[in-house]
Amino acid sequence: MKIVERILKSINTIPAFPATGNKVAQLLTKPDYSVNEVANVIKFDPSITANILKMANSAYFGPRHKISSINDAVVYLGQKNLLRAIQTAGISKYYKKGALGYFDKVTDLWEHSVAVALMSQIISQKITGQENTTLYTAALLHDVGKIIMGEFVRDSLAKISGLVATQNISFLDAEEIVIGINHAELGGKIAAYWKFPAEIIDAISFHHRPDLLEKEEKIMPWIVYIADQACIMLGFGGGVDGLSYRAVGQVLKKFNLRMKDLEMSMVLLSDDLSRAKELISII
Amino acid sequence: MSDLIVGISDIKVSNNAGDVIITYALGSCIGIVVFDPIAKVGGMLHYMLPESTLDQNKARENPEMFADTGIPLLFKSCYKLGADKKRMIVKAAGGASILDDTNFFRIGQKNIMAMRKIFWKNNVMIDEEDTGLNYNRTIRLEISTGKVFVRSSGGEMKEL
Ligand SMILES: [Fe+2]
Ligand SMILES: [Fe+2]
Repeated sequence: MKIVERILKSINTIPAFPATGNKVAQLLTKPDYSVNEVANVIKFDPSITANILKMANSAYFGPRHKISSINDAVVYLGQKNLLRAIQTAGISKYYKKGALGYFDKVTDLWEHSVAVALMSQIISQKITGQENTTLYTAALLHDVGKIIMGEFVRDSLAKISGLVATQNISFLDAEEIVIGINHAELGGKIAAYWKFPAEIIDAISFHHRPDLLEKEEKIMPWIVYIADQACIMLGFGGGVDGLSYRAVGQVLKKFNLRMKDLEMSMVLLSDDLSRAKELISII
Repeated sequence: MSDLIVGISDIKVSNNAGDVIITYALGSCIGIVVFDPIAKVGGMLHYMLPESTLDQNKARENPEMFADTGIPLLFKSCYKLGADKKRMIVKAAGGASILDDTNFFRIGQKNIMAMRKIFWKNNVMIDEEDTGLNYNRTIRLEISTGKVFVRSSGGEMKEL
């Protein structure tokens, strides 16, 4: 079997994505939802229940009250932060083994993913004037393809790095040449297998090349792209791929951003990261 | 004997021969290492951005974040432990960039220029430099010997 086929086949071995986030989101849209109803959906999922209290008390989510039960979390966290905490807890379990072909440490990919998720909210605020929970989920999952690719990248690392060093091509293109698929495209396929909506799948698939997405008006892949590049530059969760990704210059004009805006968002990110230690330490 | 870890926007200094000062995962950020071989005092700065004019409040609260506030603080912190400017050896690593960087993503380059400008203005020579390109770097400084080692992601430790 060719490597690509083996990779695609192994998608089916990934456990299904917890439906808790979606179920809670649906309940919250009803004007007459009850706290108990929402709390019961969360409690039904033991791995989320175990992590959510720790996260809910993180300064990043800014609770004004100490949260000591799931019911408290539903009451005091606010809808946006409740959903983010549920998604963070749900996604974290897939990152426990890391992506060792890419990174020295098991926790590196998770740290990177949390940093990109926080940064996506800062960039979204700057560009659209508001934060976005769907974007948060997409950003947290953007490199999910690396979880499966890690093993294959490790075996082919000499070849991939050789191409990057001698041919001046990006790590993404080198993955595609050597392995037959890149981690962004693979991540999109995992998100599709998990039945995420199209905008999340696109944001993951095109997170290094938002310019290649035909639906140009879609903003989410661009924000994930900017957030990811910023975190890569800052060394948050840097792996063997390092900074070997291509700059997509249009991003400037498209959103009327200046270099100073990017620098300022980096300052804001370092504040957010220091308030989000619980998010990083749950794996 | 301990490992002192320098975080992002952080400084560590030491005159304890058993100490090793380390910073991990420098991307476009720059690590500056200084060492006085007579006083056996060394220090390391890991700064993120070139200029404190970006956010003066932040610069007051966390001067280690910017080249123009962090570098003077690094030297001052070493003087307090008995280092002398004339004897200090200066080495720098980091300032990497992504490929084909447009102006938007040139923070690595800006960080390199900022550092060179500050040292030039203050008549300080950079003795060794491993900057630019597109990989992450880790730096180690051994206080006992003053030796500095740089490791690029996935590569070997090399003396700088
Ligand atoms: Fe990626
Ligand atoms: Fe990434």
